[in-house]
Amino acid sequence: MLKDARDHQIVFLTLFLLLGVAMRDWSLRPEMVGVAVGVSLAVQAGFSWATHDWSGRKSSNCPDRQDFSNPNHNPQITNHKFTLNWRSPLITALGLSLLLRTDHLWTMALAAGLAIASKFLFKANHKHFFNPANFGIIAVLTLTQDAWVSPGQWGEEIWYALIFLGAGGIVLRRVGRWDTTGMFLGSYALLEALRNLYLGWSWDVWAHRLSSGSLLLFALFMVTDPRSIPNARPARLIWAGAIALLTFILRNQFYLSTAVFWALFAIAPLTLVLDKIWAAPRFEWRKRFSFEPNTLPQA
Amino acid sequence: MMNHSVSDHLKLKFFPFLGLLLFCLVSFAMPAWAFCGFYVAKADTSLYNRASQVAIARDGDRTVLTMANDYQGEVADFAMVVPVPVVLQEDQVKVADPTILDRLDAFSAPRLVEYFDENPCAPRPYPEMFRLESEAPVAADGGTSASNQALGVTVESSFSVGEYDILILSARESDGLQTWLRENDYRIPDGASSLLQPYIRQGMKFFVAKVNLQEFDQQGFQSLRPLQMSYESPRFMLPIRLGMINAESEQDLVVYLLSRNGRTELTNYRAVPIPSDANIPLFVKDEFNDFYTDMFQRSYEREGKNVAFLEYAWNMGNCDPCSADPLTPEELSQAGVFWTRPGEWPSVFISRLHVRYTRNKFPEDLMFQETSNQQQFQGRYVLTHAYLGPTSCPAGEAYRRQLPQRFEQEAQSLARLTGWNINDIRRQLPQIDSVRTEQPRFEAEATDSWWQSLWSLLSL
Repeated sequence: MLKDARDHQIVFLTLFLLLGVAMRDWSLRPEMVGVAVGVSLAVQAGFSWATHDWSGRKSSNCPDRQDFSNPNHNPQITNHKFTLNWRSPLITALGLSLLLRTDHLWTMALAAGLAIASKFLFKANHKHFFNPANFGIIAVLTLTQDAWVSPGQWGEEIWYALIFLGAGGIVLRRVGRWDTTGMFLGSYALLEALRNLYLGWSWDVWAHRLSSGSLLLFALFMVTDPRSIPNARPARLIWAGAIALLTFILRNQFYLSTAVFWALFAIAPLTLVLDKIWAAPRFEWRKRFSFEPNTLPQA
Repeated sequence: MMNHSVSDHLKLKFFPFLGLLLFCLVSFAMPAWAFCGFYVAKADTSLYNRASQVAIARDGDRTVLTMANDYQGEVADFAMVVPVPVVLQEDQVKVADPTILDRLDAFSAPRLVEYFDENPCAPRPYPEMFRLESEAPVAADGGTSASNQALGVTVESSFSVGEYDILILSARESDGLQTWLRENDYRIPDGASSLLQPYIRQGMKFFVAKVNLQEFDQQGFQSLRPLQMSYESPRFMLPIRLGMINAESEQDLVVYLLSRNGRTELTNYRAVPIPSDANIPLFVKDEFNDFYTDMFQRSYEREGKNVAFLEYAWNMGNCDPCSADPLTPEELSQAGVFWTRPGEWPSVFISRLHVRYTRNKFPEDLMFQETSNQQQFQGRYVLTHAYLGPTSCPAGEAYRRQLPQRFEQEAQSLARLTGWNINDIRRQLPQIDSVRTEQPRFEAEATDSWWQSLWSLLSL
């Protein structure tokens, strides 16, 4: 029924969005989600169309232009037909809707447009290295005065954590990148624990700092994007550890409430280096799902 | 239903707010607790459960923090300790206008709005402007001495401002600081040391204020004035842990966050808008304080006691309805708004957060961030006076027929918001029967069946 992990991801992100609106009084505007989805799909379509290999050879440098609508499609086989990869931009749009807040539609449009464009513009060895939603968030935080992220919006209810963990677990099992989440959360928790110990805070302070819904969302749905993170496990572990360390520094030394997003953004290009050092096969959906070619879940 | 007026607005007076921020302590006498830490009052447990008020004006890394001082014990017994991110010099600390926090409070307080239904049969007049009411409470007293240094404690600066003697301390170890404070006649409770340590290790300094009695007497003020400090630091936080060393009761804190661009948010706790825009029965006008405190308590419990409540978020250039006149540029400056330019009305957005906290639900200090969110919000409760006079048209009849249902809805929303007994509420609703007896003609028509109405139209 759900053909690949991206379908699960779409379902869960939509669920979180509805949950947030229903239970968390978010001032989420439907038109904002509409703009995020519309612009993401449109930009994806535009780039895919522009870079489509109309000659029929399978493009080697654009994984997004494959036929996802055909469950029996084998991406290695010649394909003339242009079809839109709608899952990936939809996931990006949902991720942006969950995490990014702005007063103006055009800011969301800019975030969504730049997020998708980054997939086509920033890539090396046929692989993009920025997580699109993360790129979109950082872009509008930097370029506009009109965007912000609300890390406190989920509160710290334990049942949210369980839902996130459950949903994230299902997706990650299918994607096979649980090691990244584990490493990120584990090393971040350890760093915070050491700090807590040094400062002499009671342990509920530590627990409170970790039980943030936004942090879990990030760890389970953004830092795990299998297409933009390193291919080999050792590389992924180093990469996730580096993000945790940078997040820790930015949050505690520079008091940045958006520390995780900056950390991922800054560490993302390291993927290229790590992939060179550990030459492991790139993530391909078809290894797990013969009926479906690859792409990139991302939050 | 047009004529309206703002009656009454909610003041903090029903949470008599206590001094402030952080770690208040006092020389001599016995410790009591407030947001800031502990007051020492003479076994006066009435100091518990007070609300503290803080205003923070911030733009970039520049911060002006104003702490209300409503200490109510002996002035001589007052002192307070506030962790601050940097060493403050004399020109960074001043005494603020005693009424400025009350002005912020009055401007941003949850408000009761009153509307009057028109005679449904009369032509509608143009709506009147809101009538305003406001009031203003005051702060209190306190005061004593401090001393030298030892035990790894350094007096970074020492100066007097108004009726206060101020010390800025840095310390290497919390035990040393605790001992130093005790040696200098600050009676601080056991357990303070372990809570001072995290602040010391984060490199924070300690702002220690006590009252210079001679100066206090000369100034002739009845109560201590707010202290205001200006500093530059990327840290945007408010320490609340010190005030909870052994406090078991709930403490209220109202923070007025003033920014240039938009709402200021909490980043490590969820903030929930207080229920607003509810239509409630008229009698609440005389019980608005009870209404709001009960509604707040109920919302607090419903949300699990671990969230902050947003009571107001508004551009300070206007208000609608206003519970007090907008602050003038001079008053905004007094409140710490430093980005004003002469002759210009500064752009200021206020976010009012009301935090009721306890040790187990708020383990961490409050962290904030400024956003560009301009979405406005206010705690607003609506009273609508029904038109109970005679009417002479079918619309009037229809109007009157829907009144019982409307009153019932108002009663139910009041019960839902406050937890008050619905039957007690119903007993206080307006009596519509008395209206009916005044208007027998329409009463009769109201009971007509539709076919009788039709026949009467056809003169049958």
